[in-house]
Amino acid sequence: MLDLMLNAVAKSTADHVEIRHHKRETFTISVKDGKVDALNNGTVEGVCVRALVKGSWGFSSTTSLLEKDLVKSLRDATSLAKTSKKQKKRVVKLADVKPASDKYVTPMKQDPQKADREELIGLVLDTDKIVRGFSKAIASDSVALTVVDDDLSFVGSEGARITQRLVRCFGSVWAVARQKGNVVSTYESIGAQSGLEVLKATPLDTCGKKAAERANALVSAPMAPGGVFPVVLENRIVGLLAHEAVGHCAEADLVHGGSFLANKIGRKVASPLVTLVDNGRFAGGFGTMKYDDEGVPTERTVLIDKGVVKGFMHSRETAHDFEVKPTGNARAWNFEFDPIIRMRNTYIEAGDYSVEELAESIKDGYFLKGGLSGQADFTGEFMFGTQEAVHIKNGELQESLRGVTISGNAFEVLKQVDALGKDFVMRTGMCGKEQVNYAGIGGPSLRTKVLMGGIAK
Amino acid sequence: MSLLSSAEAAVRRSLKLGADESEAYARKTRTVEVVLERAEIQSERVKIQQGVGIRLIKDKKLGFAFASDLSVKSVQATCENALNLAKSSVANPDWVALPKAARLPKLPQGLFDPKVAALSGSEVLGLALRAYNAVKDCDKRAVIDDGKFSAMTSDVAVSNSQGVEAAEKYTLLYGFVVCVAKAHGQTSSMAFEYDVTRNIKFSPEKIGRSAAEKAVASLKPSKGESFVGKVILDSDPASEILFSPVISSVNADNVQRRRSLWMDKIGQLVAVPQLNLTDDGLLPKGVGSSSFDAEGVPRQRTPLITKGKLKAFLHNSFTANKEKRKSTGNAERESYNALPTVLISNLIVEPGKKKLDDVISEVDKGIIVRRFSGNVRPDSGEFSGIAKQASYIEKGEITHALRETMISGNAYTALKSIVIIGSEIRPTFDRVYTPPILIDNVNVVSK
Repeated sequence: MLDLMLNAVAKSTADHVEIRHHKRETFTISVKDGKVDALNNGTVEGVCVRALVKGSWGFSSTTSLLEKDLVKSLRDATSLAKTSKKQKKRVVKLADVKPASDKYVTPMKQDPQKADREELIGLVLDTDKIVRGFSKAIASDSVALTVVDDDLSFVGSEGARITQRLVRCFGSVWAVARQKGNVVSTYESIGAQSGLEVLKATPLDTCGKKAAERANALVSAPMAPGGVFPVVLENRIVGLLAHEAVGHCAEADLVHGGSFLANKIGRKVASPLVTLVDNGRFAGGFGTMKYDDEGVPTERTVLIDKGVVKGFMHSRETAHDFEVKPTGNARAWNFEFDPIIRMRNTYIEAGDYSVEELAESIKDGYFLKGGLSGQADFTGEFMFGTQEAVHIKNGELQESLRGVTISGNAFEVLKQVDALGKDFVMRTGMCGKEQVNYAGIGGPSLRTKVLMGGIAK
Repeated sequence: MSLLSSAEAAVRRSLKLGADESEAYARKTRTVEVVLERAEIQSERVKIQQGVGIRLIKDKKLGFAFASDLSVKSVQATCENALNLAKSSVANPDWVALPKAARLPKLPQGLFDPKVAALSGSEVLGLALRAYNAVKDCDKRAVIDDGKFSAMTSDVAVSNSQGVEAAEKYTLLYGFVVCVAKAHGQTSSMAFEYDVTRNIKFSPEKIGRSAAEKAVASLKPSKGESFVGKVILDSDPASEILFSPVISSVNADNVQRRRSLWMDKIGQLVAVPQLNLTDDGLLPKGVGSSSFDAEGVPRQRTPLITKGKLKAFLHNSFTANKEKRKSTGNAERESYNALPTVLISNLIVEPGKKKLDDVISEVDKGIIVRRFSGNVRPDSGEFSGIAKQASYIEKGEITHALRETMISGNAYTALKSIVIIGSEIRPTFDRVYTPPILIDNVNVVSK
């Protein structure tokens, strides 16, 4: 395939051209209430061309791997770039990158290609048993285990030729509890960019137990109250704050559009305790890759250093506009999409408090656990859901209530961070900016204030 | 080879390999799309997505394999893969059989428009530019942050070993823009506007104008107060907050798995008597219409809630077989690479008589929410999130835009607290056709 791509690049009449080949193999085991759903495996494969002509991009993709179709895609992308040129104001220029010639494979101890499928089915069935057997209140569950194996090739007209194999293994558990006309559902997940050894480090059954335990505890609990409260955000949800609330505002395309962080390099936007990083090479991170989809090597990009804005995430195009080095943040979901600026693994660095110490000074507040989906405006107003709100009274953890969506302006919330935990954790996430993508989200538990969208008093 | 002949070949091959039953679902979608970003055209794409998914059953064990390569060789290999997957799986005692062939209804009118199918990249770009210009012309303070215009043509084919053979094609045209307004150094919250149709009757100007108006209207927000009371949900938030839990609760799979709060509520009042709700898979021009579902079962019209009373649940063939009843034709697949689930086709809320302005005029104290950024828990019905482009209503009139305001409550309770169902019905991306709805007893929380 690489040879076909190199041949095509040689035929290009565009000023700059990139060809990507992508083969994604997916394997999923899904068990619902003890019954095995169809074992699911398949491959989606294709190739795409992005061509730049006089500062205008054109893009075309195809699932055909024949040389004639690849050449047609090249022609289509080039002609699209030419015809749309007159309707565009912006003239795209790219920051220089040394063309790489490299191969990368996710470091793995246990390659899922060699896995015993029956053993994996057994593992999922065992977790299902633990969840449903947890208590009488558990009415239903869904347990799934997925392996996604991506083969990526990149060839650029400047001479880059890169292949990467990225392997992700992840599992999830939905538990539903039902009691006296009340229903509650909870969700927990595990996973990493790694081989199947992730199932030893973070076992699926432990994740199942956690989901069942939460469903059981919350089935008869009311919703948490509404209003501004001091809170401890559990380590497992702090990554949502880093990603949704702050990360998007530091994507150079959104900065360009006037996000909250525009013109704020060197300015203080958060508590001096907060250092926030987007790292393309975090070991095991869901968004880790050695090169992005423009062939740029990834790096550890510090966005906020001790409360002060340090940098943004860039593609080659925005790096040129901002006169900085590209950071390797241009990513595409698959061959059907052109790369756009995306986070990789975004996290807040750890402090040295225990959760008990974080709760200690709170008179009336909540320990918020279990994340749900989130969203943010580029003004910094964010929201994300939580599953459980444990009441904190005079520093002590009390009863569990059903979690609610929390909101605030990210930078007000970050300014109010007055203590960070030592319990750093990196988790898996899916981000949906125009096209979905895998992203790592991480952080330690921390203490701050947020607006909780619960019962009005 | 046509999609249907590929699907039929896959079924024949699977049976030859020793499958008890087999089903192939093939789809090909051509999408022409234009993405707007940073107030200008970011990219245009022409993409062809195609592939086949093969569901194969051997001794009640199920395997599902898919491939984007439709060549004879690839389809044969995919059949072998599906068989091997089935063999290494565990039997599902609930499995009965794939659906039998049945006479299909006439293809509902207006699902394919050759004009949409023929749209080129530069024509879709033209649609996007019209929306872009409409924003500029409407108000100088408004700018597009991002958006997307997309023209899709889909060919679908299903074949199975019980004799199902069905194929048809549809078009879909959709577009959305997200707008912000900037004035006096302040940026408004992000306003969202969209349209979705099967045909070329599509107004990018209306999308642009309405998004710009919403963004400008949310400038200069002021703080509200916390209270429990009346909230008008515009079509989009009404669909998400009130009807995503309904969609989950009428799903027979959730009912059978004891996840639905309505599992034992057939014949009972689950909403106010004004509410009539129908799943209509045969709606002319409907964004979720077709003559057959993702298993090749005929689409139909299924009344779900009549005068507030729960009438029926929605089935695919698997859930229907478990209860020895007929499928309602609600099998759904996200794509060729996904197994069938149960989903609405078009969920139609019977409109009331009052226009939005009249609904507003009947609210003594409350808020109107035009976008919801939050979480809805379909199982429990709990919702909680930010009220975007929200305005305060006093004595029947909108007084000012609100900032940092959240709403929360329970959808199942809210269905019984509906005060007025509006008259202006429109489809959402989730295929719910709903007008704005006024509900009571919602928690409104302000900072």
